[in-house]
Amino acid sequence: MLGFLLIMKAEIIRGWIITRRYWFRTLTGLIIGYGMLMILIAGFFYSQPAIEKGINQLDDPTRATNYILGFIIGLFAFGVIGMFTQGIQGMAQTGVLEQLCLSPYGLVTNFLARAVVASVTTIFYSALMVYFVVLSVGGKLYFDPVPVIVLLTLSFINLLGFGFMVGGLVLVFKQVGQLTIIVRMALFALAIFAREEFLQQGWLVSAFMHVLPITDASICLKYVLVSGQRVSSGEFMSVFFHPCFYWLCASCIIWTLIGISLFKIMENYSRYKGTLGIY
Amino acid sequence: MNNDDGKQDIQKYTVYLDAVSKTFHTSHFLYKEEETGKRSLIKKKEACAADRITFGIMPGEIMGLLGPNGAGKTTTVKMISGLVKPDSGTVYVNGMNVEKKRKQVLSQIGVVLEGTRTSIWPLTPLENLYYYGNLRNIRGKILKERTQQLIDFIGLTDKKDVEVRKLSRGQKQKLAICIALIADPKIILLDEPTTGLDVQSSRSIKDKVLELTRKYGRSVLVTTHDMHVAQELCDRIGIINKGKLITCRPTSELLELFSKQIFSLRLDRNLAEGDLDSLAPHITLLETVSAEDGSTITVQVPESYFERSEALYLLFETLRRKKYQLRSIQQKQVNLEYVFLQLTGEKPMLNGIHSEEQE
Repeated sequence: MLGFLLIMKAEIIRGWIITRRYWFRTLTGLIIGYGMLMILIAGFFYSQPAIEKGINQLDDPTRATNYILGFIIGLFAFGVIGMFTQGIQGMAQTGVLEQLCLSPYGLVTNFLARAVVASVTTIFYSALMVYFVVLSVGGKLYFDPVPVIVLLTLSFINLLGFGFMVGGLVLVFKQVGQLTIIVRMALFALAIFAREEFLQQGWLVSAFMHVLPITDASICLKYVLVSGQRVSSGEFMSVFFHPCFYWLCASCIIWTLIGISLFKIMENYSRYKGTLGIY
Repeated sequence: MNNDDGKQDIQKYTVYLDAVSKTFHTSHFLYKEEETGKRSLIKKKEACAADRITFGIMPGEIMGLLGPNGAGKTTTVKMISGLVKPDSGTVYVNGMNVEKKRKQVLSQIGVVLEGTRTSIWPLTPLENLYYYGNLRNIRGKILKERTQQLIDFIGLTDKKDVEVRKLSRGQKQKLAICIALIADPKIILLDEPTTGLDVQSSRSIKDKVLELTRKYGRSVLVTTHDMHVAQELCDRIGIINKGKLITCRPTSELLELFSKQIFSLRLDRNLAEGDLDSLAPHITLLETVSAEDGSTITVQVPESYFERSEALYLLFETLRRKKYQLRSIQQKQVNLEYVFLQLTGEKPMLNGIHSEEQE
C-alpha cells in the first residue's frame, strides 16, 4: 500500500510539473478539446440522413447532453485503455518500462498508481469540458456527488481490469498495441450510444452488452447526470437500485480479476520470452 | 552448487550465476531463406544468448563482460536484474535466488541498460531523481540528501535544474547512472555505459565507476565491446561469444597469459620463405618486417611452460641451422583486443600487440 501511495505521489508531482512547465500546451489542449468536441457533436447530429431531424435533435438539450456525456465517457475509456496499450508501447521504446519493472513494487502496482493519477487528471479536465460544452448547447446536468463519485470509481475499476487484460497482451506482443486502437474506438462508440433500450434486444445481445466494460458504466452515469435519476414515468429512483448498477459491480469484479491475473501471467511470460523491453 | 561448499561459494560473491542458460525462440512469418530463396509461411528460429554461464562478482570488484554484438552480454545483465528469466540455472544476488526473491534483489541492484532513455525528458535531473527515488521507496530527508550527493558526485550540479531533453548524451548517461544509484545499491550493472560517448564523457564515466568501487566498495558489472574500456576499468574480464563464457580471469592474468606466447626476434637478414615451416604447429609466424639491416619476426608459441620452452629451443635451433644471427629477442605485451580475437577464434590482428615495450 505504501508503495502504491509513493508511486501515486511521484506521478502526481511529475504530472503537475509537466502541466505547469508546459502550461501553454495544457491550455491549448483544453481549448482544442472543447472545439473538437463541439465539432464532433455537431458533425454527429448533422450527419443524420435528414438534416431537419438533426436540427431537431440539437434543439433537444437533454438528448444533446446525453451524447456529450457519452463522448466524454468514451474519451475517458479511450484514455485509460490507451495508457495500457500505446502507453506500454511507448514506455518499451523509451526504456521506462524496464525501469518500472526494476522497481521493487512490481509492474501491477506501478500501473495501478499511474492509471489512478492519469484518470483523476482526465476526469478533472473532462469535467471542465463537459461543463462548457453542455453550457454551450443549453443542456443541464444533475450533479449528485455521491452517486457520481461511486460511478466514476466503478467505471474506472471496470476499465482498469479490461486495460490490464489488453496491456498484458501488449507486454508480450507489442504490435498488438496498433490493433487495440480498434478496441478503443469500439469502446468510445459504445460509451456514446449505450442506452437502456439496447439491453432489451433479447438475452444474447443484452448479455453481450453487459459483458463489455463500458456499457453499464455509461448507462448509469447518464442516468444520474442527464436524467437526474428519474425513470421514464418521472419518479425518482436512486441509481443504486438500477439493475445496471449491479451489472456494473459484477463486471468490475470479473474484469479486475481477469485483467490482473492475465497481466501477471503475461508479465511472467514476457520475462521468459525476453520481450519486456523490446518494441 | 547444492552442497554446503557451493552455498559458501555463493555467499562470498555479491552476484553469482550458476550454469545459467537462455535461448530465445522467434517465429518469422512469410520467411524467405537468403541462401536458397526458399519461402515458408512460418519459420521458427532459435538464438542461444547464454549457454551454462557460470561466474561470480566479488564485493568491490569491477567485472567486465566483453563480447561482440549479440554475444549475450545484455541478456546476462537482464537475467541478473530479473528482467529476463533463465531457461535453466540460477542467478544469486547476495546469496538470494533472483527468481524467488525478486523484490529483495531489486532493492540491492542498480541497472543502466544500453540504448534506453531511462530518464523522463521533460523533467530536470533533480526531478528525475526525486521521481525514481519514490519508485524505489526512498523518501523525505534521505531522498533530498542522496539526490544532492549524487548530482555532485556525478558532476551535474550546474545542470541539475535544466530539462533532461536539453542535456548532452554524456550528461544523460551520467543521469542514468545516478538513477541507478538512487536506492544506494551494493551492486551496479552497467550495460555498455560508454557507447556513443565522446572521449571526455567516456573518461568521466569510467572515473566515476572506478570511484564507486575503490572509494565506496560497490560491485560493478560492466558489459562492453570496447576493449579499452574493459582493459582500463575491469579487475576481471569474462569473454563471452555466442552465449558461451569462453574465459573469466583477472585482466592482468589474461594479458599476461598471451604476453608469454608472443615473441619478437631481430635477425641479421631477411627471413626466407618457408624457413620456419617445419616448426608448425609449435610456432606460428605472425609477422615479418624486413629492413635493410635485417628483419624482425613475430611468433606465437604454445601456452604451457614446457611446450613453450621446447618450441623456443626448436626455433633457436632452426635459426642457427639456417645460419641466421639472432640480434635480440623480446617478449611482447598484448592488448585485450588481441586476447579477445584469439579467444573468440577470430584471426588475430597484429596491431593488437604493443610495439613500444622494452627490449
